[in-house]
Amino acid sequence: MMIIMKANATPQQVEAVIAQVKSEGLNVHLSQGVEATIIGAIGETHSIPPDRFEGLDGVESVQRITQPYKLASRQFHPEDTRVTLDGFAVGGEEIAIIAGPCSVESRSQIVETALAVKEAGACALRGGVFKPRTSPYSFQGLGEEGLEFLAEARDRTGLPIVVEIMSQVQLELMARLVDVLQVGARNMQNFNLLRAIGEIRTPVLLKRGLSATVEELLMSAEYILSGGNRQVMLCERGIRTFETSTRNTTDINAIPVMKNLTHLPVLLDPSHSTGHADLVPAVARAAVAAGADGLIVEVHPDPAHAVSDGKQSLKPEKFAQMVDQVGQIAQVMGRRLAVVRGEHPSARQGWT
Amino acid sequence: MMIIMHPGAPREQVDQVIVEIEKHQLSAHVIEGVEQTIVGAVGDGHSIPKEIFEALPGVMAVQRITQPYKLASRQFHEHDSVFQLDGFSVGGREIPIIAGPCSVESREQILEVAQAVREAGAHALRGGVFKPRTSPYSFQGLGEQGLEYLVEAREKTGMPIVVEVVAVSQIGMMQKYVDAFQIGARNMQNFNLLRAVGETRTPVLFKRGMSATIEEMLMASEYIISAGNTRVILCERGIRTFETATRNTTDINAIPVLKRLTHLPVIIDPSHSTGDSSYVAAIAKAGVAAGADGIMVEVHPNPAHAISDGKQSLTPQAFAVMVKQVRAVAEAVGRGLVPLPQEKVVMRTDAGA
Repeated sequence: MMIIMKANATPQQVEAVIAQVKSEGLNVHLSQGVEATIIGAIGETHSIPPDRFEGLDGVESVQRITQPYKLASRQFHPEDTRVTLDGFAVGGEEIAIIAGPCSVESRSQIVETALAVKEAGACALRGGVFKPRTSPYSFQGLGEEGLEFLAEARDRTGLPIVVEIMSQVQLELMARLVDVLQVGARNMQNFNLLRAIGEIRTPVLLKRGLSATVEELLMSAEYILSGGNRQVMLCERGIRTFETSTRNTTDINAIPVMKNLTHLPVLLDPSHSTGHADLVPAVARAAVAAGADGLIVEVHPDPAHAVSDGKQSLKPEKFAQMVDQVGQIAQVMGRRLAVVRGEHPSARQGWT
Repeated sequence: MMIIMHPGAPREQVDQVIVEIEKHQLSAHVIEGVEQTIVGAVGDGHSIPKEIFEALPGVMAVQRITQPYKLASRQFHEHDSVFQLDGFSVGGREIPIIAGPCSVESREQILEVAQAVREAGAHALRGGVFKPRTSPYSFQGLGEQGLEYLVEAREKTGMPIVVEVVAVSQIGMMQKYVDAFQIGARNMQNFNLLRAVGETRTPVLFKRGMSATIEEMLMASEYIISAGNTRVILCERGIRTFETATRNTTDINAIPVLKRLTHLPVIIDPSHSTGDSSYVAAIAKAGVAAGADGIMVEVHPNPAHAISDGKQSLTPQAFAVMVKQVRAVAEAVGRGLVPLPQEKVVMRTDAGA
């Protein structure tokens, strides 16, 4: 950490900062320039908040040199983390395509969608049963019954299921029934939830908050990792900007930036990041070209009658076209699409 | 245009809106809802500012239904605009790559970069001679002398040159030298400059402003086209957001959105949109995968000693690697790169054999 003193800081103020640095167990490197004095704090600084020094008299500003996260950082873990699901791994050579409706609406809707996305090339099924809707008057999800429908869809197709968790009270139930817990954008900094998920060993898909920086996303991942759950996947899902022609702005830079900063798998959700089904295939291709390890895409058999997110949901036919296009890009990137093993007995029956 | 009245707006206020609509040769279509009245203004309203109605008493909101730009719109010009830029076309199936330094620094520097990027596969040369730098104390460019160096680089390599114009007063002089004008992000809404380049017939590479919406960009391009210059290339170069990990945020959504809204060619500048040379290749590939018609990239023989934008400039070697990768992605989306002159010769020989 570099502590930059004000130009008029007194020697006593510099001494006080040095004493504080030492009391944190850090070494001091003092450099007295012509206009300003800079105090370098050397050692294990990642757990020390800059506020510790910013409040001292005579301090102009404090700059971190090392990253404030550790377990998520590639510096401490150079090789890619692979999150293994049924017969494939996310974060290696394979590109994982997770697909399904925004919300589980009925038994027939989720089973029909699961069969369609599996046939089109998806390797996992998404579907919300607890929905964090902007309006309290909107459909809030089917709850536990929805989980049963999802489990049935998994039985029929062999696709692992990815389901959003909104609250710690749902954790025990969800951990028992789902293959991947999704933490949605609105809960990216629900730290109690993150800590609780860190205590279990179910893989997690952590989505970036609507106004969260990449660094803040990695700090949130650190909450889960530091609890002991190392199976974390990150997901760019668009950020809030001034642009109004799309629901969000896909921060495509975040893909190579995160691949550089962290060893965790990085996915992109082009459905939320654009908000328009027509734009989804182009942005899905872009994500894989930029180095993403996977996609999570909303697919609905009848988008016009979807209870949520119909505008951004692909029809199964359009999704199949998207998968083909993404497969072409994956190939030139030296990668391939992940294929689920799907060894569940009923799945084998259904597909041989 | 839909004019939405406040709940309970009296009939006289609705009538006043109708009078105003008819004054502009539009016809009024009144929809009386349970709580609110909506007045539709039907006709060619693209040149009528919505403020005229917003200011009337009883009006809650005014929404445009049709786009406020016309010549740039795909509604009025369904097919892609494809035009020549000294030997190759922009906006067609084949993708051109424009490369070069941020600034022309010296004769040697620009000749060296030009040769290097040409060998690596570039189709056009960029280089700034009038630099809109954030700080007035930073290098401001070599001016007309820089243009002479660029012309020499063009003669040696055969690549057309794309140069930023920052003032109306430079247009006459620059026209003698350049193959395409660039309008930079900071001048996207310099409307006098836009009208003036619109009066010329030199193609224009038009960059999105840092805080400009896609609609504002298309409106601004309309200034150039409506003055008669239809050869406009749009360029996404990143927007300003809260994210600090990169210089700007590449709005990749803008590529398919623009391709839908306009017939003009759309290219991407991953150097400015990331600000970091280590991310340029990934975003260049993403741009082409998303449907971009071209790429503009900063290349410098020695980025660490570049006078400007060194951090985001590729070395010629890294640029050559990027070109190969972009070519592969272009082919994966059913396109290709514009053939280089030597490739054309090879192709002709093949055809004859």
